[in-house]
Amino acid sequence: MSVADKNLQFLDIPRHDPEKLPIEVRKNEFREIYTQFDATGSKQQAGRCLACGNPFCEWKCPVHNYIPNWLKLINEGNLFEAAELSHQTNSLPEMCGRICPQDRLCEGACTLNDGLGAVTIGAIEKYITDEAFKQGWRPDMSNVVKTSKRVAVVGAGPAGLGCADILVRNGVTPVVFDKYTRIGGLLTFGIPPFKLEKEVVEKRREVMEEMGVEFRLGVEVGKDIAFEQLLAEFDAVFLGMGTYKYVKGEFPGENLPGVYEALPYLVSNINHELGLPGGESFVNLQGKDVVVLGGGDTGMDCNRTAIRQGAASVTCTYRRDAENMPGSRRDYKNSVEEGVTFLFNQQPIEIIGNGKVEGVRVVETRLGPPGPRGRRVTENVPGTEQVIPCEAVVIAFGFQASPAQWFSPHSIGVHGNGRVRVSADRVTPFQTTNPKVFAGGDMVRGSDLVVTAVFEGREAAKGILGYLGLQ
Amino acid sequence: MGVAYGGGSFASEKGGRTSFDQELYKKMTAPAEHGLYRSSYEKDSCGFGLIANLDDQPSHWLVKTAIASLNRLSHRGAIAADGKTGDGCGLLLKKPDKFLRAVAKTAGIKLAPMYGVGLVFLSRDEKIAAASRAELEAQLKAEDLIFAGWRNLPTDPNACGAEALKTLPQILQVFVNAPADMDEASFNRRLFMARRRAEKAREELDAAFYLPSLSATTLVYKGMIMPAHLVEFFPDLGDERVEASVVVFHQRFSTNTLPQWKLAHPFRFLAHNGEINTIEANRGWALARGPVMNSPLLPDLKDVLPLVSMHGSDSQSLDNMLEVYLMGGLDPLQAMRLLMPPAWQGIDAMDPDLRAFYEFYAPHLEPWDGPAGVVLTDGRYACCTLDRNGLRPARYVITKDRHLTIASEIGVWDYKPEDVVRKGRMGPGQMIALDLQTATLLENEDINELLKVRHPYKVWLKKGVKYLESDLVDPSLAAEPMDKRTLAVYRKMFNITAEEREEIIRVLARDESEAVGSMGDDTPMPVLSHHTRNLYDYFRQQFAQVTNPPIDPLRETIVMSLQTEIGPECNVFQPQASHAQQIVLNSPVLSQRKLRQIVAQSEHGVPNAFIDLQYDPAEGLQNALHRICREAEAAVRDGNIIILISDRYLVREKIPMHALLATGAIHHHLVTVGLRCKCNILVETGTARDPHHFACLIGYGATAVYPYMAYQTLYEMMKKGGVTGDKAEQDHRIELGRRYRKAIRKGLLKIISKMGISTIASYRAGQLFEIVGLGPDVVDMCFRGTQSRIKGANFDDLHSDQLGLAGRAWNDMKAVEHGGLLKFVHGGEYHMYNPDVIATLQAAVNTGDYSIYKSFAQLVNERPASALRDLLALVPKGAAIPVDEVESEEAILSRFDSAGMSLGALSPEAHEALATAMNRLGARSNSGEGGEDPVRYGTEKNSKIKQVASGRFGVTPHYLVNAEVLQIKVAQGAKPGEGGQLPGDKVNQTIARLRFARPGVGLISPPPHHDIYSIEDLAQLIFDLKQVNPAALVSVKLVAEPGVGTVAAGVAKAYADLITISGYDGGTGASPITSIKYAGSPFELGLAETHQTLRRNDMRHKVRVQADGGLKTGLDVVKAAILGAESFGFGTAPMVALGCKYLRICHLNNCATGVATQHEVLREKYFLGQPEMVINYFRFVAREVREIMASIGIRSVAELIGQTQYLKTAEGQTERQRRLDLSPLLSTEGLVSPAQFCTEPRNPPFDKGLLAEQMVSEMQAAITDGSGGEWSYAVKNYNRSIGARLSGEIARAWGNYGMAKSPVTVKLTGSVGQSFGVWNAGGLNMILEGDANDYVGKGMAAGKLVLKPPRGSGFVAKDTVIMGNTCLYGATGGELFAAGQVGERFAVRNSGAVAVVEGAGDHCCEYMTGGVVCVLGRTGVNFGAGFTGGFAYVLDMDRDFVDRYNHELIDIHRISPEAMQTQLLHLQHLIERHVAETGSEWGAEILRDFRSYIGHFWVVKPKAASIESLIENLSRAA
Repeated sequence: MSVADKNLQFLDIPRHDPEKLPIEVRKNEFREIYTQFDATGSKQQAGRCLACGNPFCEWKCPVHNYIPNWLKLINEGNLFEAAELSHQTNSLPEMCGRICPQDRLCEGACTLNDGLGAVTIGAIEKYITDEAFKQGWRPDMSNVVKTSKRVAVVGAGPAGLGCADILVRNGVTPVVFDKYTRIGGLLTFGIPPFKLEKEVVEKRREVMEEMGVEFRLGVEVGKDIAFEQLLAEFDAVFLGMGTYKYVKGEFPGENLPGVYEALPYLVSNINHELGLPGGESFVNLQGKDVVVLGGGDTGMDCNRTAIRQGAASVTCTYRRDAENMPGSRRDYKNSVEEGVTFLFNQQPIEIIGNGKVEGVRVVETRLGPPGPRGRRVTENVPGTEQVIPCEAVVIAFGFQASPAQWFSPHSIGVHGNGRVRVSADRVTPFQTTNPKVFAGGDMVRGSDLVVTAVFEGREAAKGILGYLGLQ
Repeated sequence: MGVAYGGGSFASEKGGRTSFDQELYKKMTAPAEHGLYRSSYEKDSCGFGLIANLDDQPSHWLVKTAIASLNRLSHRGAIAADGKTGDGCGLLLKKPDKFLRAVAKTAGIKLAPMYGVGLVFLSRDEKIAAASRAELEAQLKAEDLIFAGWRNLPTDPNACGAEALKTLPQILQVFVNAPADMDEASFNRRLFMARRRAEKAREELDAAFYLPSLSATTLVYKGMIMPAHLVEFFPDLGDERVEASVVVFHQRFSTNTLPQWKLAHPFRFLAHNGEINTIEANRGWALARGPVMNSPLLPDLKDVLPLVSMHGSDSQSLDNMLEVYLMGGLDPLQAMRLLMPPAWQGIDAMDPDLRAFYEFYAPHLEPWDGPAGVVLTDGRYACCTLDRNGLRPARYVITKDRHLTIASEIGVWDYKPEDVVRKGRMGPGQMIALDLQTATLLENEDINELLKVRHPYKVWLKKGVKYLESDLVDPSLAAEPMDKRTLAVYRKMFNITAEEREEIIRVLARDESEAVGSMGDDTPMPVLSHHTRNLYDYFRQQFAQVTNPPIDPLRETIVMSLQTEIGPECNVFQPQASHAQQIVLNSPVLSQRKLRQIVAQSEHGVPNAFIDLQYDPAEGLQNALHRICREAEAAVRDGNIIILISDRYLVREKIPMHALLATGAIHHHLVTVGLRCKCNILVETGTARDPHHFACLIGYGATAVYPYMAYQTLYEMMKKGGVTGDKAEQDHRIELGRRYRKAIRKGLLKIISKMGISTIASYRAGQLFEIVGLGPDVVDMCFRGTQSRIKGANFDDLHSDQLGLAGRAWNDMKAVEHGGLLKFVHGGEYHMYNPDVIATLQAAVNTGDYSIYKSFAQLVNERPASALRDLLALVPKGAAIPVDEVESEEAILSRFDSAGMSLGALSPEAHEALATAMNRLGARSNSGEGGEDPVRYGTEKNSKIKQVASGRFGVTPHYLVNAEVLQIKVAQGAKPGEGGQLPGDKVNQTIARLRFARPGVGLISPPPHHDIYSIEDLAQLIFDLKQVNPAALVSVKLVAEPGVGTVAAGVAKAYADLITISGYDGGTGASPITSIKYAGSPFELGLAETHQTLRRNDMRHKVRVQADGGLKTGLDVVKAAILGAESFGFGTAPMVALGCKYLRICHLNNCATGVATQHEVLREKYFLGQPEMVINYFRFVAREVREIMASIGIRSVAELIGQTQYLKTAEGQTERQRRLDLSPLLSTEGLVSPAQFCTEPRNPPFDKGLLAEQMVSEMQAAITDGSGGEWSYAVKNYNRSIGARLSGEIARAWGNYGMAKSPVTVKLTGSVGQSFGVWNAGGLNMILEGDANDYVGKGMAAGKLVLKPPRGSGFVAKDTVIMGNTCLYGATGGELFAAGQVGERFAVRNSGAVAVVEGAGDHCCEYMTGGVVCVLGRTGVNFGAGFTGGFAYVLDMDRDFVDRYNHELIDIHRISPEAMQTQLLHLQHLIERHVAETGSEWGAEILRDFRSYIGHFWVVKPKAASIESLIENLSRAA
């Protein structure tokens, strides 16, 4: 390929995503819907990168992945180097490659996204680690000099894993506690397998254990083990416990039978799929007309889970327009493909039914003037109410911080909304008001992306290293 | 004040040790003034000449003629603001014995048979003057000479201008008698010693005390006067009894107006036109070499050290050195050849004995190089010599009355055509000498013959020299490859980031050249950075602009050399076999094996000492430096010839000091103790990776550098298959090292060429850098004499930098840093155009929402301090005022220009959108240099500023007359000292049409403007432009560096109307990355210096000053105004407004935003820019400016300009920021002029061009109605740019070609001035009977120029020079026929003209992209370098053309009468035209016997073009 051709690869070769499984196949099974790039495909797509002077992708990426650099390595066929580099900034690249809303982050910021088709960054990120693992690559730990320091990590979700990754690479032994029997937190129990197959998470557990991370699963801090004990046994503690308190609609009918909260709904489905305990609370929406309230990523997951369970119909309502919907464009598109009906500019005001759900009353909205945070708030349009008949409602309005009982006795301060207070100090970032305790992820910033949680976990680990004098 | 000589002395001590006056040395190398101006920045240039009688017959006629000739060169000098003070002129004549004896007698002075005479400048304070006189008398006596008396030299101060009068010294003549038994040479030596001793004694006490000459053989008259008033001032010169057989004369053009009587030329032996680019190294080495210079003729030479003046004029220093050589026993022939050798290294065909002569001396002295024409006389010889590159003109004529006249121009006095015996010109590196004693004219070859046989140089070299050549290429890239862990330690210790490895080191080895990038450097200077930066980053490369040209390292490598010798320096006065014991390297970049060989004693017997650069942190950096200096000194005293300093063997307990600190400290220490010339410093360092690193080390004294970390890094990448991307590269490990070294060599050539330096020997220890951000402790110890104007980091800071790196380095868990210096990376270096800034700006201009703009402005104005202005805070004038009391947005907008961005670099859509926007705003857009489609003229898409750069692409008369401002781009912020480049991919049909080039062929502009080698050349170009478009203002774009203010003052004196000062951070479409990163200074420094210097010189009111460089917001504008700008240039910001996302891929033609590409699809589908976006941007900026002004109580920009009291230095954010001293930027000390900005509408030239005006008035009607006709005029050498006024009028009325059918024909007779037929338009035919000076047909678009010898000439026309250098430069069409020879660089950048000449100088057809050149005779060397279009015919009677053309891009073919009938006919037709137009006898002769001559012709064509296509293209073009 001549130089000129190479420079114009982004024009000559269009953006091309990995193939998706046919709708008929995918809507019936809880398997990932995207196939994997092969070496040629990834090389070609990676070669579309312009290597911009301002890498907007890296800038927008919450962990600031060296995206153009590993795209170049893949283009040059240097898989292991790419995997090494990819892990320099991200503890869970194979997962972020699968579930990040790239269209709002790296790919959305990609210079080529102005009509030329962004580089398929997510798919390549996923390819790199999957393929490197397959070929036997493992993170290089040969330089690590072990210290005697041990840190307890509470929560095996993205923040906890990110934190453990950095700690272990710096010679500190992380011991990760989680109330579930598998690692991953929401990665395992929240995100449906058609986006992230659980073998991927298991693989990561294997890799991390090889690196020297210790997991103590099925152990709930504050219940199975006292927090005092952690403070006593470990040199520091990291909290990455997420946000589990769901946001209520605060309208009549929320408690009717047939109204489900998103997270328990998703968790139970996964437990059921994995044959794990907890599957007994499995909610099966097969054959039902389902309304999902909320246009975020969780809403999308609920939509598509319901489809796969064999719901008769799935309708998703969102109070703003399609443009403003926070959920990933990709998931939205997949949802539509799989048969979900979207109703935009609809505010639910009541769930109606007599002893069981019979429908959702909604009212049309329009965008009003910008609110205090710059985003335009919605206002209801009088006289536009209607009822969407249904048999089940899943509420996916998001999550709020859920501080544990034992925070305050241990001087772990929280903000008014329950988020944990942390320091922005350069040496010990993410330190809570208890100097020995650090925190990161959703419980600090509120419900957010997996990748942000990973970032905060990693940054908090640097704070812990600073605190331990290892920086 | 330019101090001539120091007052200290070397004292001999036991054991031959010499000590040195530290204080003196410091004083001489330290800057002396406040603010940003330094007297050392002064540059000068000029017109010069000599007249000599071939038979040594003195006459007053000769003196008179010399003065008249000098007057005819007035246009090459400058005139002060008072209109009468010149920058100086004078005469050096062979002693007029009869006259002197007569006036001595009158004065009651008794003269011995042998006597000396001197001109003496003294203080006007009689008491001081008397003491100086007494001192001189005492010193004469001490030398056993007999003081004869003082003569009150008659002078008439009425001849002086007011400026000159301010410093007019008392002027006397001194007479000295020789003792009876003394010969003339000894007498002159004693006079020299007496003078030097007196000068040293009086240096501090009588600033005016100066002896222009004191000699038994020659005499100088000079002063700050105009040539026209010389005789009036010195009535002696009008005395008929003043008779001389040789006179050297000179007219000076200085870049500033501060009068210095003593700096007028000629000096004691020479007069010089040009500039010594290598002066810093020359002065430094002259100082260092003092202890080894030893002539039996001058046993007490050491008493009068230093041998050359360290400040003041370069020419003066050169004269000092020449004087020492002559006094030490060399004759002028050898002395000058050693000081200014021709380019011998690159000339393969040179006579081996002559080569040996130069090679033998090379290790012991370095060339004094630069644009130089030198005329000199010592009374016996009258000589002229040119620099190796022929960058100054010198033409000579020998007349029947037995006189030789040499001058910058032909035709300086009116000899009759039939009296001319011979006319010629000096070629590059040539010397000509008249031996008055034997009445022999020695031509270049004769001098060579004399010199090469003086000693058995070749034999000596054969015995002594060891060559380490390429057969010793390192077979293993890294003989001891580091293991992964060690490599990581070293990479972290020396901060080799992943980015540097990938983007810099890898590219060097992969491409054999430096990485190319685009856009600019938007990162902070290292002293402002919050990150640990490499010490090299503090060093900004100096570059040549205006007063001297850069050399062209691509096309003129033939004059350049990196040859490096290792061995001790020896005494030039006593050459002997042992001096040849040297190791010779082809470059200073070592492979491991070469280093091993050099230091292996057994093999070469070169004693060497190893000095480890590591130190215990507890010792401290400065103490460690003192220690290694002592170690080095001891090692040299022990007889070691090589000092190898090394950071190769890291140990954990210690940290390495930076090799550059060590190199500089050792170099200066050894100079101080007088040992420097006895050793060589070799550097083994992990810090050296890119060419700039090597340049720094060599620039501070390193002889050679072994960059082991570059090799180790490459080795590691190779193992992983990651250098070339070729899996088989493991087999090419040798290649990688070789390729890397080749790339570094190319980079070094580029860096030294940027400063106009040709050989690495003249660069070594020249310290040609500006330091930005190092404190005085560091600079004084390691880099003494280098400018570091705002202070900054000290030893503690540098120590803690390294300590920090070491901490990471030895921590195995710390990864190697990713980088972020080149491209934005999260957590890496701050970028001023980071994604936030870009995204917010684009959101603002796309929506037109001022509140978003304010967020953008906040992001910029409150960023971490990244530019110097960020550390300057506004000081309100008073209370805030309502915004509506501030002048209007429109008034502010009229001060805005867009920066030059060429069509070609930008897409037509972006270029037009920008022009449209600026026009609608009432501001001005700048075309850049790539032509402009004539359909845009007169519409809102027309660029009001038209740029003229070194490539002259699309610069036609029609282009020039469609401008309000003509901007000469002397330098560009992103890559000063280099030419532009447009990659072939971007040259599509449209671009090719507008640039008169071929589609698909990349275009490179030469590094220099080939018509600006000197300040008076710039004045000439400005004159050319003002002639073709008298309505336009002429602007000159400069780049900030120390001395730019003085250059700007010179530019103002050259009659520019506007001056732009660009910062280092300017953008580019394509440039080597190290140029983007390491050259040029912040605009704040350059702007403040310019403003201060213009005010100091009382010139601020004459020119408008523009700031340009990274301006983004209204606050930037306000601060720039306060620092002295009245106009503001914006480059990148409006481009970003049009959609540019700062991708830095402009050079790849794949700009995805359609801004910087010519790709059809990208332009049509993806360019979304609209003029409104640019309009929004500038309106926002203007609005912000108003708001800021209101907030500080200012009503108009005019109230801000130069009012530095409205700025104060702000508290720094880091330790080293707090150490900065920005007060020089705000200084108003010594600024006399009350003007803060330009108050005059324009800056008209002194030369009113009266003949041209007469021609226009007589022909105007014929032009207006297109009727044509014929006119005749007589011309002289001061009638310059003849034709340009007419061409301008024609182009205005008819365009370039519209009047071709009914031309005006102008018949001229005489020797015409420079730029004959410049910018010639179709419809103007000029026939000159006589000869012409430089630049004939420059920028010619169409029409016809004919030059033929005068009727009645006795010489052979084909052997005689008929026009000067750089003719047809940038011509795009038209015809030129000249019956005679032409000078250097004929048809350089020709892209369409057809020319026939009868012989040409060096570099003919350089950079040619179109047209036809037929040379009916011998050409110089390097024919057709960079020749990519058009073709040439060359008649090669000597059958050696094959050695004289540049083989890179062209090939040559015989014309076979059978196969190439069309070609044959074409050639024949051309010669027939030539004969018809010029009456050429030689042409007629060729035609008479065409079949015989045809076998001697070559067709020269680009390799890429087929023979068949040549004529075809020609007929298509016609």
